[in-house]
Amino acid sequence: MSELRFEGVSVTHGWGRRAVRAVESVDLVVPSGTVLGLVGESGSGKSTLARAAVGLLPLSAGRITLDGDPLVGRAGHASRRDLQMVFQDPYSSLDPRMTVGESVSEALRRGTVRGAQARRAEVARLLELVDLDPGRMDALPEELSGGQRQRVALARALAAQPRTVLADEITSALDVSVQARVLNLVRDLNRQLGLGMLFISHNLAVVRYVSDLVAVMYAGRIVEQGPAEQVFGFPRHPYTRTLLDAVPGRGELADAVPVVALSEPVDPHDPPTGCRFHPSCPVGPLLRPERTECLTRDPLEVVWQREHRAACHFSAPAVPASQEGLHR
Amino acid sequence: MATTRRARWTRALRTPVGLAASGFLAVVVLLVVLAPLVWGERAEVVDTGNLLQGSSAAHLFGTDSLGRDIGYRVLVATRLSVGMALLATVIGVGTGLLVGAAPVVLGRRTGRLVTGAVNVAVAFPALLLALFFATIFGVGARGAVLAVGLATAPSFARLTQTMVASVADRDFVSAARIAGVSRIRLLVRHVLPNIAEPLVVNATIGAGGALLAFSGLSFLGLGVQAPAYDWGRLLEEGLGRVYIHPEAAVAPAVALVVVGLAFNLVGETIAKGMSPRATVGRTAGAPHPPGPRTATGPRRLEPAGSTLLEVEDLHVAFPFAGGWATPVRGVSLAIRPGESVGMLGESGSGKSLTALAIARLLEAPASVRARRLTFQGTDLLTADPRTERELLGASFGMVFQDPMTSFNPTRPVGRQLAEVSQQHQGLTRGAAWARAVDRLREVRVPSAARRARQYPHEFSGGMLQRAMIGMGLMGAPALIVADEPTTALDTTVQREVLALLARIRAEEGLALLLISHDVTVVRDVCDRVLVMYAGRIVEELPTDRLGEARHPYTRALLDAVPDLETSRDRPLAVVPGRPVSPDALPAGCAFAARCPLATERCRTDDPVLADAGPGQRVACWQTGENLGLPAFPAATSRAATP
Amino acid sequence: MTTREAAVRSRRVTVSRSVVAESPWVRFAVRRSGRLLVSLWALLTAAFLMVHLVPGDPVRAALGAAAPNDLVEARRHTLGLDDPLWLQYAHYLRGLATGDLGTSMTSGLPVSQVIGDRLPATLELAGLAFVVAVLLAVPLGLGMAVLTRGGRRPRVELGFTTASVVVGAVPEFLVAVGLVLVLSVRLGWFPVAGSDGFASLVLPVAALATAPIAVLARIVRVEVLSVLDADFVRTARAKRLPARRIYLRHVLPNALTASITLGGLLLGALVAGTVLVENVFSWPGLGSTIVSSILSKDYPLVQAVVLVYGVAVLLVNLLVDVLLALLDPRSTIREA
Repeated sequence: MSELRFEGVSVTHGWGRRAVRAVESVDLVVPSGTVLGLVGESGSGKSTLARAAVGLLPLSAGRITLDGDPLVGRAGHASRRDLQMVFQDPYSSLDPRMTVGESVSEALRRGTVRGAQARRAEVARLLELVDLDPGRMDALPEELSGGQRQRVALARALAAQPRTVLADEITSALDVSVQARVLNLVRDLNRQLGLGMLFISHNLAVVRYVSDLVAVMYAGRIVEQGPAEQVFGFPRHPYTRTLLDAVPGRGELADAVPVVALSEPVDPHDPPTGCRFHPSCPVGPLLRPERTECLTRDPLEVVWQREHRAACHFSAPAVPASQEGLHR
Repeated sequence: MATTRRARWTRALRTPVGLAASGFLAVVVLLVVLAPLVWGERAEVVDTGNLLQGSSAAHLFGTDSLGRDIGYRVLVATRLSVGMALLATVIGVGTGLLVGAAPVVLGRRTGRLVTGAVNVAVAFPALLLALFFATIFGVGARGAVLAVGLATAPSFARLTQTMVASVADRDFVSAARIAGVSRIRLLVRHVLPNIAEPLVVNATIGAGGALLAFSGLSFLGLGVQAPAYDWGRLLEEGLGRVYIHPEAAVAPAVALVVVGLAFNLVGETIAKGMSPRATVGRTAGAPHPPGPRTATGPRRLEPAGSTLLEVEDLHVAFPFAGGWATPVRGVSLAIRPGESVGMLGESGSGKSLTALAIARLLEAPASVRARRLTFQGTDLLTADPRTERELLGASFGMVFQDPMTSFNPTRPVGRQLAEVSQQHQGLTRGAAWARAVDRLREVRVPSAARRARQYPHEFSGGMLQRAMIGMGLMGAPALIVADEPTTALDTTVQREVLALLARIRAEEGLALLLISHDVTVVRDVCDRVLVMYAGRIVEELPTDRLGEARHPYTRALLDAVPDLETSRDRPLAVVPGRPVSPDALPAGCAFAARCPLATERCRTDDPVLADAGPGQRVACWQTGENLGLPAFPAATSRAATP
Repeated sequence: MTTREAAVRSRRVTVSRSVVAESPWVRFAVRRSGRLLVSLWALLTAAFLMVHLVPGDPVRAALGAAAPNDLVEARRHTLGLDDPLWLQYAHYLRGLATGDLGTSMTSGLPVSQVIGDRLPATLELAGLAFVVAVLLAVPLGLGMAVLTRGGRRPRVELGFTTASVVVGAVPEFLVAVGLVLVLSVRLGWFPVAGSDGFASLVLPVAALATAPIAVLARIVRVEVLSVLDADFVRTARAKRLPARRIYLRHVLPNALTASITLGGLLLGALVAGTVLVENVFSWPGLGSTIVSSILSKDYPLVQAVVLVYGVAVLLVNLLVDVLLALLDPRSTIREA
């Protein structure tokens, strides 16, 4: 059992006046053996959250626990290995001067495998697990393609025997013909080894394909989360609906006068008051002036209660009762 | 790879610089080792009968105030001069490395303090620091070594810091940290090996600098003291009588310059040897780049009259390792006025190069050849530069992938639009500015007049891409070529920009060539799609019939990409292998090695693009036999065979 | 703390800061002068400590081993060297604030007077050399980049690179000696030494500027080449602008921002290079002063000259940063 839990997590970049809250009051649970997909656009704080979880960035508030043990803290060093991360760029995530075998072997837990022979055998097993020929153990990263490197990075993460893996945009630097193989691998690892994952991506279709649960992030906050089929089928937060509408290949392209300034991302130094999405919201105060609440009150203050939650004062109803059976 | 690295070094050593460097180095090493043994005594012989003589048969460079032979003294001084320089370099590099790498091992706070101290120290020139330290350590050889060594330390510390920081930022270091690797091991195993080569290069060049700095100190009388002597001291002695016997100053000066230069050349050679870019040199006497086939090429689809752009058998080649790599080989396409055509392919398929070749933006060393390349009836292959500039400047617009880097960061956005009209429509500065604001309004940039005065970094990516499209509309374009115009943008903004492109195209009646790796983007905007693989168009078909694609590669692209309807219970189709490299193309079909349908014929004969239905052309030998079959069984994934 | 409290609090803090935060230029000035002050303090303290780090007794060293003990003691007392270190430091700082740099041990003149006599000659030399270097190196580097872009004219490139490496590696004093040999001794065109009119300036300036020209031209070429690879140059070409406009409006401003940083370092090195060149040409500047005072162990004078050179370098760095901020709208002034 391994449950990754974020409780009121905030991460601040910079000091003093220029401090920016990249992540704010995030509550999130990745249940054991589950893939949670985290979506949002660039700058929404997805990667910051993941980097904070593995201790690459300090938390400014809240805590992150794995099975109830706090991960981040001075004494948490040993248990931090229970959480591993795979990065976006396959060309910078492997040391160019170490062979594939050395990279994977370095991540093996001390004390678990003794002797050079046993280590090689274990590395070979891990490479096979990610669909790579163990004969390539002595290859340098420059001899591998992007997709192969990404699978080596997965093998290295698995070498630490993690209970949960964070995958940060692991397919976005890959060519489409190569991406499928990595996605299949993610699915297999989850289904066959029961590996829990926080799968970060800006690509909704990819997230939908691998995830059981989905969380949507906007300007450092989780604005909606719930089971994947519910979030994708019946999005409650207007931002989620905007994201879904933006997926290419869905309906007519209409270049309406942009009433909502989607092209203008939130300035992290000076975030909007109230609901952070209100300057871009298609059902917000810019289009419906009576909805002044959005300007002043932060919907995050409203307590989360349901399985499928949305941080919006005017969220759409959850799954309609008539269709509930269909999506369970 | 060890072999390529060795080849790189051999090649670096064989260049003129490399040869000179190794020659110089050998001579210097010999002199350092042998000169004091062979000539040591002769250099000390006092000849009172020949004080302060000029050049003679007995003394080639004359004698000094005690009648000692200057030539021998210069040779013997090699050991002391070079030795002290190396010692000072070791001190400087060692100290610099320790201080520069300290922030990795120390914590965040202490690290920042060290960095700040280095930043202050590095602002002062080495010579000034050397004088400072020389004052403290006192006049003499020992003081000078310490002074020169410590004076070079800050710049090495800074160099180490910069390089360490750039390596420490990379993901593999983060991954190692997450895996529980200790800070010391991180430094020794991951960081230092990755900065060693540039450090060695700079240390070598630094040794040359130390040699000269030393001579400077000795020359000023602050370095080596009598009776010891180095080149700087000999030079100072010689300069005193430069009027009468200049050769006494020339000998040590030449020695200094030559050896200082040797250090530099060795550094350059090491740099060449370690830099992989240096290996792709110019190809002298390479055979002609591949060009269009004269007899049997893909034939034209449309009569010339109704087309806006017509390309036939386009080849783009680059010199590569003694021959040519050909990333675009035989592309033919035609675009009618007002038509919207998509070009689909993965990275390296040649789609962007095709666009740049059509836009005439490829320069030497790229070679662009084609049987035909016409735009609005004008032959671009033979047009003189002026005609080409006027034609393309007025009616051809380009939109590039990354708007953030495609604008000049030092000029206001509006000015960058306005200069198009100033150049091509002969508008005045003011009129061009007004048109720029108007065009920004046209692409729906809010408060256009204000934003025109802003610099690119004050725009968001989406806004800047709108401005880029507006730039294409400054003239009266007939065709806009958009190369991955939405790839660098957020998904929500992508859709806006695509919608903008679609509207502009409809309103202005212009044609669009949209290049993308994303099927769904092309499907949204285009009437017709060209699929590229390994520099060829492998399939062409109307967008609404994408489901009937026949080429195995097109089908693979369609099946491998999940969309919001893909079944979550089945593994995705997988294309095995990796795309071919343009410098190692197989004889037959470039896709054969990855294709489940490939036969012997596919591996030997390259298929040509042939009609395969209304508006459809396919380059594949197997399409006839395998119509309607899914090209890729999903069984390549392990999950399907539990 | 709830989010709302946080929001309220952050707003309150913003108000109090708004005056400072308003203009990026104000922020830039505040931050940059802060850095200047820290560097200045480090420089002052280093110069102060320098004298105290000299092994043995500086007064004894200056007066010679044979000097009687009571004379040494008396001199130590007049120089305040028998006070506790912190008190000496305080005196030193107060002296600096009032323009009192002490008294030269050898000449007995006030150090400030010696510096005042010597500084203008050095400034003249360094300033002129820098102007000459920039005026020659920037067009040279740009021209070379244009000629050799994209691997064109490999022989010109090889020639230029080799020449610039060779010339850049030759130190100022050697260039000076070479120039004296050829142009003064052999041809007799210029005076060998001294400071007397324009003719006497030519050789020292040439000696100082030669290496920086080679180095700067090389840097400008590399920078221009890398800017030529930038996406926005491709955009400018796609706009079919004439080549002259592309180079002058789009390439050069961007190449210069990177070159200025290095130009600043060069200017700093040039200031230091005057020490050597002045000694070759017996130029009556600070360079000859510092060497003679180090040799004669005239520590108050050494200390003061080191300070003057240091301050000159700091000012150069400040100038570079201001120039960069003016030239580059992305502005170093905005970030960090």
